[in-house]
Amino acid sequence: MSVSSPETRPAPSTPDGAALLADGGAEIALEVKGLVKEYPGTRALDGVDLQIHRGEIHALLGENGAGKSTLIRLICGATRPTEGQILFEGRLVELNSPQQAQDLGVAVVHQHFNLVPQLSVAENLFLSQTLPRRAGLFVNWSATEKRARKLLDRVGLKIDPWTEVSKLRPDESAMVAIAKAIGSDARIIIMDEPTSALLPAEVSILFGHMRRLATEGHSFLYVSHRLAEVFEIADRVTVLRDGRRAGAWTREEMSRKTIIRAIVGGDKPWVEDTDAGRATHGEPVIVADALAGGRVRDLSFELRSGEILGFAGLPGSGAEEALDLLFARSAVLSGQLTVHGKPVTLRSPRDAKNAGIALVPKNRHTESLLAGASVRENISLPNLNRFVTDPVARFIRRGRERADSQEIATRLAIKMPSIEASIDSLSGGNQQKAILGRWLASGAKIFMLNSPTAAVDIGAKADIYNLIRQIAASGAGVIFTSTEVEEFPRVCQRVIVFRDGVVVGELAGANATEANIMHLAVGGDDER
Amino acid sequence: MSASVGLNSSDRKARFDLPAWLARFGTLASLALLLIVFSLARPDVFPTIDNLLNIMNQVSILGTMAFGLTVCLVMGLFDLSIAAMATLGGYVATFLLVQYPDTIGVPEAVLISLAVAAVIGVFNGLIVSYLGISAFIATLATGSIITGAMLGISNSKTIITGIPDEFLIIGQGALFGVSNPIVIMLAIGVILWLLLEHTQLGRHLYAIGGSAEASRLSGIAVKRYAPIALAICAVCAALGGLMAASVLGAGRPQGVGDTYLLNAFAAVFIGASSLRPGKFHIVGTFIGVMLIGIINNGLSVMGVPTYWQYIVQGVLLIIALFSAGLLTMRRR
Repeated sequence: MSVSSPETRPAPSTPDGAALLADGGAEIALEVKGLVKEYPGTRALDGVDLQIHRGEIHALLGENGAGKSTLIRLICGATRPTEGQILFEGRLVELNSPQQAQDLGVAVVHQHFNLVPQLSVAENLFLSQTLPRRAGLFVNWSATEKRARKLLDRVGLKIDPWTEVSKLRPDESAMVAIAKAIGSDARIIIMDEPTSALLPAEVSILFGHMRRLATEGHSFLYVSHRLAEVFEIADRVTVLRDGRRAGAWTREEMSRKTIIRAIVGGDKPWVEDTDAGRATHGEPVIVADALAGGRVRDLSFELRSGEILGFAGLPGSGAEEALDLLFARSAVLSGQLTVHGKPVTLRSPRDAKNAGIALVPKNRHTESLLAGASVRENISLPNLNRFVTDPVARFIRRGRERADSQEIATRLAIKMPSIEASIDSLSGGNQQKAILGRWLASGAKIFMLNSPTAAVDIGAKADIYNLIRQIAASGAGVIFTSTEVEEFPRVCQRVIVFRDGVVVGELAGANATEANIMHLAVGGDDER
Repeated sequence: MSASVGLNSSDRKARFDLPAWLARFGTLASLALLLIVFSLARPDVFPTIDNLLNIMNQVSILGTMAFGLTVCLVMGLFDLSIAAMATLGGYVATFLLVQYPDTIGVPEAVLISLAVAAVIGVFNGLIVSYLGISAFIATLATGSIITGAMLGISNSKTIITGIPDEFLIIGQGALFGVSNPIVIMLAIGVILWLLLEHTQLGRHLYAIGGSAEASRLSGIAVKRYAPIALAICAVCAALGGLMAASVLGAGRPQGVGDTYLLNAFAAVFIGASSLRPGKFHIVGTFIGVMLIGIINNGLSVMGVPTYWQYIVQGVLLIIALFSAGLLTMRRR
């Protein structure tokens, strides 16, 4: 270990004192050496090294299951390593509890920021600490407020400490979570996918704050799926693959290609080709005329057989809501829908399904998976009608159901122990394939996919893109949304862009670039 | 280091996963243990066919009600009206037989009382599906309404005289040496097992219980299922009460079902901790029912005071739910 700097060992309780550290100082805040973690049946980490320097924003990348969360759990003391060492500021430590890691200055900011939405900012900031008291009994709220203001000033957040957290913007919530971490003297802040709920403008505000805190001597371990953000913010990046370190690079050495190769592994092809400009000749499968409902107003479009149409827009723009509207998940207030040339009125998802429409909702866990049920049951869910013996008793022919589901699973190359295995034992990507398979088996001709690659690792993303193309090639029409704008040019032939509930433009072929889509989605006057 | 890895991985395969085994088979194992203990304690009385039939006879009403309750718990609905529904089942049947001895026979009386229960069950379901009130509260309310209605109709008087002998056969007769209540319980068990495990209705009930939103988005008309499930549960509860009235030879307007309410829930939850941890199912419920029956019978055969039955049952319920929960916690 190279940490032999005798002059720097700031007292843990005075992080402000550490603020004057020289830029690029080689002092290592956290080092992990040869870390191994075994669980029954798997070796989650297999000899991982990691160095986080003081004042550094260090990105941690890797597919789901590569070992990122295990590594975080070890660093924050949630579980103990099977082998290997963890050193804080050069000192070898043995972490037996999260409390111990916290005392050493490690804090984790989770995806949803672990804040209590119904409580005020001030209450959240000191949730894990004892509040100042009067007579040792009653909370001294004015002293609490003073402390909260001081802390918010330090992270540069200008909000009233008595604001209820549920009323904050996502980036403000993220900053409150960071302030909370700093308030507990954290010097190493682990951020686990903090930007998944943030708008682009909010992300850049958050990054600005992170930069400043980094120059003050705080270190960040930043976990994300979004490569573009990593390139924007990270000083250094470590990639994990299959429980091992697949590589580590400084900002100067990073390139998109090398990092993606490290994440995915050399043998898997990375999908770079786009479908832009590919001709589509099919018949219209679904035509909407002045459809309105919820946030969406005046939606008119035509989707042809074999076409992949993107619905793009910032969160809340109406792009995702339009899918719910088309599936009759939310009420249609006005307008006309024509499916396969026939005017239809859809009153429920059941009507939509019977009209040959499929919806893959955004959140697998709350909207599409049957947790605890088998892969077979998950695939056959909307299709049980096909296996009933008679119209009255409706016994299910289990054998035919199994064969049918097995065939779909084989066709989509779903990796699973068996068709009867619990869906919970599959990786995110394979779960999503099973959900797509559910609708393929139903014979739907219109596929509406709401962010089908969300929370799916990069290798599985490529599989899902290919699957979407196959679905379109088989003659179905596909509507696709995504939270990652870069996916639209890669997947879609044509993109409709939403803003404030209405369509603000349409881009086709070579024009459907990430920049053009963003320009329309954000609006011309919104330059920052 | 690599050598130790190899050692570990071969180790791993051989290792016996005790918590998982307990979650799955713990209830069955404790059932076996109890059978052994009671058999050793009273070899002359406990391990006999007669005593087995006796135990099953004792749990037949509980079993019938618990099977019905399983159906609505599969969907995630708590039906607290089963106690009142059981009282209603017995009272309405005897009331009709006594009030209209010339026009209404036993089959009609049975059918009408079960139909009344079904209608109330559907009503429960409509409240849950269309008014959006949780089943827990909705059935608590309807249970109270039923209790009140029974007391009003009966003037709080128990029907004892005028019940025809044919009605008593339901609870006191036997078929090929097996008492009718056992036959009824097993028949209901088999029917509901087929329904839950092998029909589309059952699969949809499980799907809705697993994720109502995923089911709705898969084109299942989710709102139609609460009335069906709660009606099935209500009919089973009324049938249980009807059997109780027949066994007693009396139509009591209050309190018939109260003794079964907690035990029925206990049996179903013990069942959800066996074989398929975390899932309600008929076979599990049957195990739960038998476990309760064997504890009560065994302890009384051994001459242990009655209050111990409640204590042992409560402890067992906690252990069963803990061992099932252990597995789900580990999965996370």
